[in-house]
Amino acid sequence: MSQRSRNSNRRNHLKHKYAQNSQTTDEQNPVIKAFQDYALELDDKHDRYERIVKLSRDITIEAKRIIFLLHTIDGRKNNRSRILNEAEERLEKVVATNFKSVALELNGQDPYQYRCAYSPGLQEFIEAYSFMEYFKHSGDETPTTVSDWSILQQKMQFEHQDEASQKDDELGKELEVSLGQEKPVGKIAASQGVNFVVDPTEFILGIADLTGELMRRCINSLGSGETNVCLESCKVLQQFFTGYISLNIQRCRELSRKIYTMRQSVIKAENVCYNVKVRGGEAAKWGSVLENKVNEDLDEGFY
Amino acid sequence: MASFVNLEIFSNYQKYIDNEQEIRENIRTKVREIEQLAKEATIQLQVIHSDLSKIDNACKEARKQVSACASIYKQLSELIPVGQYYRYSDHWTYITQRLVFLIAMVVYLEAGFLVKREIAAEMLGLKINHADGFHLDIEDYLMGILQMASELSRFATNSVTMGDYDRPLNISHFMANLNSGFRLLNLKNDGLRKRFDALKYDVKKIEEVVYDISIRGLRNNPSVDCKEVEDPHEQCGEDVVNDN
Repeated sequence: MSQRSRNSNRRNHLKHKYAQNSQTTDEQNPVIKAFQDYALELDDKHDRYERIVKLSRDITIEAKRIIFLLHTIDGRKNNRSRILNEAEERLEKVVATNFKSVALELNGQDPYQYRCAYSPGLQEFIEAYSFMEYFKHSGDETPTTVSDWSILQQKMQFEHQDEASQKDDELGKELEVSLGQEKPVGKIAASQGVNFVVDPTEFILGIADLTGELMRRCINSLGSGETNVCLESCKVLQQFFTGYISLNIQRCRELSRKIYTMRQSVIKAENVCYNVKVRGGEAAKWGSVLENKVNEDLDEGFY
Repeated sequence: MASFVNLEIFSNYQKYIDNEQEIRENIRTKVREIEQLAKEATIQLQVIHSDLSKIDNACKEARKQVSACASIYKQLSELIPVGQYYRYSDHWTYITQRLVFLIAMVVYLEAGFLVKREIAAEMLGLKINHADGFHLDIEDYLMGILQMASELSRFATNSVTMGDYDRPLNISHFMANLNSGFRLLNLKNDGLRKRFDALKYDVKKIEEVVYDISIRGLRNNPSVDCKEVEDPHEQCGEDVVNDN
């Protein structure tokens, strides 16, 4: 017992001695010097990562709220255009502020390095945006299709404003002091403006989430009696599903999980439509939806 | 009404993913070549655990393999589109860490100091900053260095077996430096952190080897390098003798 405690005392003493050594040699020791540089570089990376995570979280929250807002579109209340306008405005604001900040953080960086940090926000945004487009499409005279990543990419291009580039320059200076590099890149990018890279894979994953919203919409409309909406959203779901299973992908575990979930959503929606068909006649208030799709009584401005 | 769902998106995405798949395929071929060379170098270096006189030769051989890797890295870098290093980097992080380990080992055996990131990158023909091109990621470098620590703790044991009692002291001093270096880093809770947590066991093992040598007075030729760590051991030795 005493031997052991003595042993540990000796160890502590030894360690203490080491610590003293490293303290006294801190200035000359090349290892310590090198590691001080590494520490700066790692900290810079982690800080940037955390900042992007924060921005991404804000985007996620706002996108979720917009989706929620879009779900309140109700044929009976005639609120479609008002809600659509509001949603579109809020989405543009997300692009103009939040995505711009992310783009500025990523300026001169490899976007794939910080992908984990911003991907949840981006996917949620794509989901909200395409959901908005879905409503735009379903009621409108101009038949549009869902925007693909290149269209979104165009939206994500930003001009460098003065204050932004100033901030960037400051950042560049800081880095120059600490690392002695990075600055030239920032400068080049600053003169060209910045853009946020929308990765096609992120886009495809975001659209996969959209199908969950379509399923919810399908179920909700059954509750509110808009059976035509049920049938219509089910059809869109089926088309999406067809598109997704047509993909031949390896390695993307996330996507195959989403496709599995999507299948369940499709089945749910199809069951709703089945029930509408079978019991549609029994529920008097639904009316004869299936025989006469564009029924004046049912329409209520939705179609 | 035209359909909302545009199936073209999916065919476009298929094209995109096929293209990516092809790039990955090419990367994998190159990475396999590097792996082969690295394996040969690793085998060469194993001799240090059984024959101290062959160290110089092993280092020379390993250096040859490393410089052969540098040319493949150049080919690899040409496969990666600009600004997409991290999109594909999972293919070569492991092997790059391995090579950093080999380089660090060779440099330590030859000269007794820790290889800097700049030098390691230079030996592999890589840049240091991602802005300049295909680079050596800092985390890969640090991971490689941590691998070296475990190898050195094994080497310490074996060099005692082969009758070299000074080497563990050298290694111990070196590791103490390395350890305090790593303590300067603020590590996130990730793979690097996990690997760093294992460093203390390597340090402990080497300290035990040094302790064993010291209490038995087996050191024959204390070098200047180990002077600072000598005193506490001397005390330890005396204490134990008194206890007995």
